[in-house]
Amino acid sequence: MAKVVDVKKSVMEADEVLAEKVRSFCRDRRIVLVNLIGSPGSGKTTLLEATKKYSDIKFAVIEGDVETARDAERINALGVPVVQVNTHGGCHLEANLVNGAIGEMDLEGISLLFVENVGNLVCPVEFDLGEDYKVAVNSVPEGADKPMKYPHLFHKAGAVLLTKTDLLPYLSFDIDVFEKDLEKLNPDVPFLKINSMNGDGIKEWVELLEGWVREKSSR
Amino acid sequence: MHEMSLVESVIESILDLKEKNDWKKINRVTLKIGKMRQVIPDIMEFAYTAASQGTELEGSNMVIIQVEMEFFCKSCNRRWGEEDMAFICPFCGSSEVEMLHGMELEIDSMEVEN
Repeated sequence: MAKVVDVKKSVMEADEVLAEKVRSFCRDRRIVLVNLIGSPGSGKTTLLEATKKYSDIKFAVIEGDVETARDAERINALGVPVVQVNTHGGCHLEANLVNGAIGEMDLEGISLLFVENVGNLVCPVEFDLGEDYKVAVNSVPEGADKPMKYPHLFHKAGAVLLTKTDLLPYLSFDIDVFEKDLEKLNPDVPFLKINSMNGDGIKEWVELLEGWVREKSSR
Repeated sequence: MHEMSLVESVIESILDLKEKNDWKKINRVTLKIGKMRQVIPDIMEFAYTAASQGTELEGSNMVIIQVEMEFFCKSCNRRWGEEDMAFICPFCGSSEVEMLHGMELEIDSMEVEN
């Protein structure tokens, strides 16, 4: 006989278990895990390059892409420890992929690990990777309407970076709209303007990261 | 298109529950999904039909109940919805705002045969 049963169970249960595994790995080693989320071409890899070029902060990277190891090659060329994860069609990373990647890395002396998610403003937000912070990367050419169009990301972000600010004089990007919408979604979120080409804003970005590292190491 | 990943996870959970409870057949699974979750119900239901083929769940269907966003201000006790999507109270300006609904992502119930 047919009957209806109450289930009330999270759809994300399997991912949550693995995310917790990653979290506990990072907790034990005092590693801050930062999940970088932004559109394809928003400047996520270039931001990591600039972070290395314009500061002394030590970090490692897990690169997520649908195909190719191009991003990992760019990071590797800087002498930064990196593992490339390819999703072969998948539009986001899940905790099992990060869990596998950290097992392949030598994280001795590393207190900051970036996961550069697959370029996408929707799907990556839904999957907990065990990160301490999601960081939203929005570039000037994408336009100022992104926070309200993709509210989940901007609400969840532990920091929001506006990249390619050198293009502000040439494009009709209304920064007041961007900041006002962001304030509605995430009132106290750190908001940084960055030009990875000349290092503008990298100092503030690194100070934020160092604060996160200090906070975690003192816990 | 993260719906397929979600569906795979749901199928895994259902098969697990089916085995544990010794249910003969699953007719229907109902999910509650908040609007903030950016899931498209049609795609999700289609993905379920596709992914359940060839499994013990073939022939069953998925129903999605979308949950509207609802915000609550802890300072002035007022509520509002998606039309004023904000974590700052549109009435009193406080940032003591809680999202009551809109983040749901759960298997709510199932119709089963035993």
